[in-house]
Amino acid sequence: MKMIRAIVRPEAADNVADGLAESGFYSMTKMSVFGRGKEKGLTVGNVHYDELPKTLIIVVVEDKSVDEVLKIIQYKAYTGSQGDGKIFISPVERVLTVRTGSTEL
Amino acid sequence: MKEIIAFIRPCRMNETKKKLDELDIPSVTAMPVLGRGHQRGLNPILNDIDVSKDVLMKAHVSGMKFVPKRMLVIVAKDENVDTIVDAIVKSNKTGYIGDGKIFVCPTDNALRVRTNESGDIAL
Repeated sequence: MKMIRAIVRPEAADNVADGLAESGFYSMTKMSVFGRGKEKGLTVGNVHYDELPKTLIIVVVEDKSVDEVLKIIQYKAYTGSQGDGKIFISPVERVLTVRTGSTEL
Repeated sequence: MKEIIAFIRPCRMNETKKKLDELDIPSVTAMPVLGRGHQRGLNPILNDIDVSKDVLMKAHVSGMKFVPKRMLVIVAKDENVDTIVDAIVKSNKTGYIGDGKIFVCPTDNALRVRTNESGDIAL
């Protein structure tokens, strides 16, 4: 199992959520975060914005679905300019559903 | 060292914290998040759940795409993982959908900023 953490533009978050749902990945968590990347934020004229609002989307999927999910997120969050976001993938060893106690996703 | 990421009901937060306190594992990070699971949010038609019609009328919606949840992040020693998972399950089980999920992920290292200690001692 892998945990996919995608940091995308807030306006793209709904697109990504809908795109994932269309392909059968309904389960997800999202939260609004602030961050910056390689470009050290954003400079408009004299004003420098250090922390930009983003949305963090967390999806946990089986190993075989990782590529598909990555493709969907990339396709839905893409605009071509700086600040489209980043996707991180980390391993998950164990999962547990509180209500049923099942150890599958 | 393991990272335990749990998604639970916000109203069960106090109970969970109390339980973890009793086990002497007080360190936890909590974040309010929005999420959904297998049931695709609160959807009365899809899930056949009992959401009172008055409530739905008042809110002018037919359900909720995303449900507010609390995300707990606990980094713990390997030997404590099972106790923590058990405690979270015990204090959050109601038997209805939306009880939450728990993920256990491997973590490489931890560092305490104040003293520069790393490893299990920093937890």
